[in-house]
Amino acid sequence: MAKRRKWPVLLMSTALFAGLLAGCGGKDNNGSASPSGSAAASGSASPSASASAPAEDLKPLTLTYYSEDPNPNWANMQDETGKYITEKTGITLDAEFAVGDAVQKSALIATSGKYPDLISAKTSISKFVDAGAVIDLTDLIDKYGPNLKKVYGDELKRLRYSEDDPSIYVLPSYAGVGQTYFEAGGGFELQHRVVKELGYPRIRTVQDFENAIKQYLAKHPTDENGNKNIGLTLNADDWHMYISVTNPAFLTTGGADDGEFNIDVDTYKVTYHFLRPEEKEYFRWLNHMNAEGLLDKESFVQKYDQYKAKVASGRVLGLIDQLWDYADGEKALKAAGKFDQAYGHYPVTLNENFKDTSFWPTGFMAGSGVAISKTNPDPVRTIKFLDWLASDEGQVLINWGIEGKHYTVENGKRVMIKEVNDRRINDGTNFQKESGIGNYTLLSAHYGDGVKDPTGNYYTLKFPEQLTNDYSDVEKEVLKNYGATIWKDLFPKEEEFKVKPWGAAWNIPIPSDSDSTVIEEKLKNITWKMIPKAILAKPEEFDDIWDDYVSQLEKADVHKAEELRAELVKARVKLWNE
Amino acid sequence: MKAVSARNPDVSLSAKTGKSNFWKVAFRNRYLYAMSLPFVVWVFVFSYYPLWGWLIAFQRWKPGKSIWEQKWAGLDQFKTLFRDDMFYQVMRNTLAMSVMGLVATFTVPILFAVLLNEIRNMFFKRAVQTISYLPHFVSWAVATSIITRMLAGENGVVNDFLMWLGILHEPIQWMGKEHLFWGIVTVSDAWKETGWNAIIYLAAMAGIGPELYEAAKVDGASRLRQIWHITLPGIRSTVIVLMILSIGHLISIGFEKQFLLGNNLVRDYSQVLDLYSLQYGLQMSRYSFGTAINIFNSVVSVILLFAANGLFKRIAKESIM
Repeated sequence: MAKRRKWPVLLMSTALFAGLLAGCGGKDNNGSASPSGSAAASGSASPSASASAPAEDLKPLTLTYYSEDPNPNWANMQDETGKYITEKTGITLDAEFAVGDAVQKSALIATSGKYPDLISAKTSISKFVDAGAVIDLTDLIDKYGPNLKKVYGDELKRLRYSEDDPSIYVLPSYAGVGQTYFEAGGGFELQHRVVKELGYPRIRTVQDFENAIKQYLAKHPTDENGNKNIGLTLNADDWHMYISVTNPAFLTTGGADDGEFNIDVDTYKVTYHFLRPEEKEYFRWLNHMNAEGLLDKESFVQKYDQYKAKVASGRVLGLIDQLWDYADGEKALKAAGKFDQAYGHYPVTLNENFKDTSFWPTGFMAGSGVAISKTNPDPVRTIKFLDWLASDEGQVLINWGIEGKHYTVENGKRVMIKEVNDRRINDGTNFQKESGIGNYTLLSAHYGDGVKDPTGNYYTLKFPEQLTNDYSDVEKEVLKNYGATIWKDLFPKEEEFKVKPWGAAWNIPIPSDSDSTVIEEKLKNITWKMIPKAILAKPEEFDDIWDDYVSQLEKADVHKAEELRAELVKARVKLWNE
Repeated sequence: MKAVSARNPDVSLSAKTGKSNFWKVAFRNRYLYAMSLPFVVWVFVFSYYPLWGWLIAFQRWKPGKSIWEQKWAGLDQFKTLFRDDMFYQVMRNTLAMSVMGLVATFTVPILFAVLLNEIRNMFFKRAVQTISYLPHFVSWAVATSIITRMLAGENGVVNDFLMWLGILHEPIQWMGKEHLFWGIVTVSDAWKETGWNAIIYLAAMAGIGPELYEAAKVDGASRLRQIWHITLPGIRSTVIVLMILSIGHLISIGFEKQFLLGNNLVRDYSQVLDLYSLQYGLQMSRYSFGTAINIFNSVVSVILLFAANGLFKRIAKESIM
């Protein structure tokens, strides 16, 4: 018995032990794999560079690709456009998207030492640069990137990383070159039924906005089903706080969007934007809205899904948000045919002295884009691939799809096939999955909306004629009564502002060992805590709370953060404009 | 497991009779040792081997370089940590919520198990037990969304009910009241885990010999007396072992609940240590700082564990070591 019993025990323990060893062994193997991989990469780069003379190499090559922005419609390049790209370049992308906290995911990849071949990490790219994980593209662009050079043109100097390190690590792919914005998605929103009922009053200041809501609520405290109408609700769940609560404070008081800072366009003086006296008055107005009972009491408690559900219920008369942030809720309204409960955009400011700054021009916003890692097996083919995407052929493909299948050219004019276009609008998600249109724009350099190709057609699908086709009849009627054809007509134009030579402060990468990361996080914590408190306070307590808020900011070194930012801004201005 | 082996007469005897006996005993138990070897290796590989990474807490660690090429910073990271006002705030919240949680998990489930144990109808007992531990399998992401909806100011069940009773005249924003946050977390935790935690006590109660109850009945003990003199002492050692273990975990309470239930209005009361180390460590790539927090966390846990163990050893004559 004893003898027999021994074996299973020994077997089991050896098996477990072996399993453990295998587990550890695997780790070691991986560890040693990456250095040898990088050696191979740098080794292969030079021979293939010298062997560039022969015709295009179309051998199938799979590159791993990481992006901070999740794309739920990504179809592993098995969509129509994707297959076409693979056919033309031989390259297939194996994509990985950040789920959850993208910044954290990027940080983990940057420290892991195992880098994807293509990295699109927005401002987190500084972590990859610090870790030496991405390669300088200057020479590669010079040798193999004729189309990239053409698209970026004079903006090429904006691609340099910093003054100390003028290498090009990133091909900016988020901003389109020569982009013109046709559509306003921000400002303050009012349901069409509100302005219609009140006879299209002028909506220019927060006072007008408040009056419109107040008058409508007085007439219609409930909707047709007896549910209470809500005056104004805000979206304050996590980072949405920026979009719906704090950014409007500077947009309505003549400040441009520079993240949490306000930068004087002439003197480059940096101020933590909440310290501007005008903005205190904006928050005082929100406080007043709350005291009047016009602000939804759940504004600072509700989660994002609750907010969207509320918008979709059609009971919310006014919003202060961006279209992309509440679009899901509005889509539901439109799908239900409640077009008069959808929203229009109005350039509301604190008072008549300010201009809505939604369209303050930034110039070409280099920054977020694609980088090539040092472990990329074939940087030359990768840059050629990106260059092909930036070619006229590539750009028309990623925006319009395949000729004959998605669009046709009639008398030299490129038009989307009617059935295809209807599907694009009404069944967007599935259409994108199948056609791939819209899946590849963030991969490489591209022209922005409003730029025409050599044949005289627009590169992208967004142009004024196309826009109004997507409007509902109610929307068109409202716009007509305000003497406009598109929402943007109501807003102050780009030409009215002086171009910010630093682009935007939020898109300047912060060196990873800078003190400002910690200070700014603390400031954010204080702001996110105190602003809701100030808004929900009794009006007579507002000033005390505000003073408390300011003293907390000062204690948390707000002025040091301003100085550190000012240095970064000055360096950026120099880097971009020399 | 350890508690059981500690009371094994064989082992305690061998400890008394000296060293030479150890090998004898070890040889006699060689199969047991062989079987435990993989787990010892497991613990070593996954719990002790990674500890050398603690070194980075004494550095200014940057990615891309090996650990020996980093800049050494001495105790700077710890100084930063202990000088930060926020650290004390998150410690207060962490300890408050875990102590409240501890009280809740050692009263409600035990009470529940005792009551359940008194039920004689097996079908009813099983049904109640199954239903009560179902919430344990609901993820916090789902549970918090149920909780926030129930406590919502508009169409929230709790508000509607209280207003129907006439206790409230207008809805309360439960989730926006910072002083209620700890309570909400504790109550939701109790709701989610009571049934699950009761299982182990029910198992312990099942191990109490029925003859004890019979004898008590013969002596004329009432139901309450039976609970007090037989059931509760019967699960005493289980309770103490669990209590010591959870005291060891006092400051590592995770952050899911607080993160998902929290909002900006209750920020001062919802931030906990793990969230702090996530936000100010990992998310800012301050890996050294994050590690420093982690070391602090481990050291405090070990101290708490030994303190609790020693305390119970002395006053209750029960311990896990």
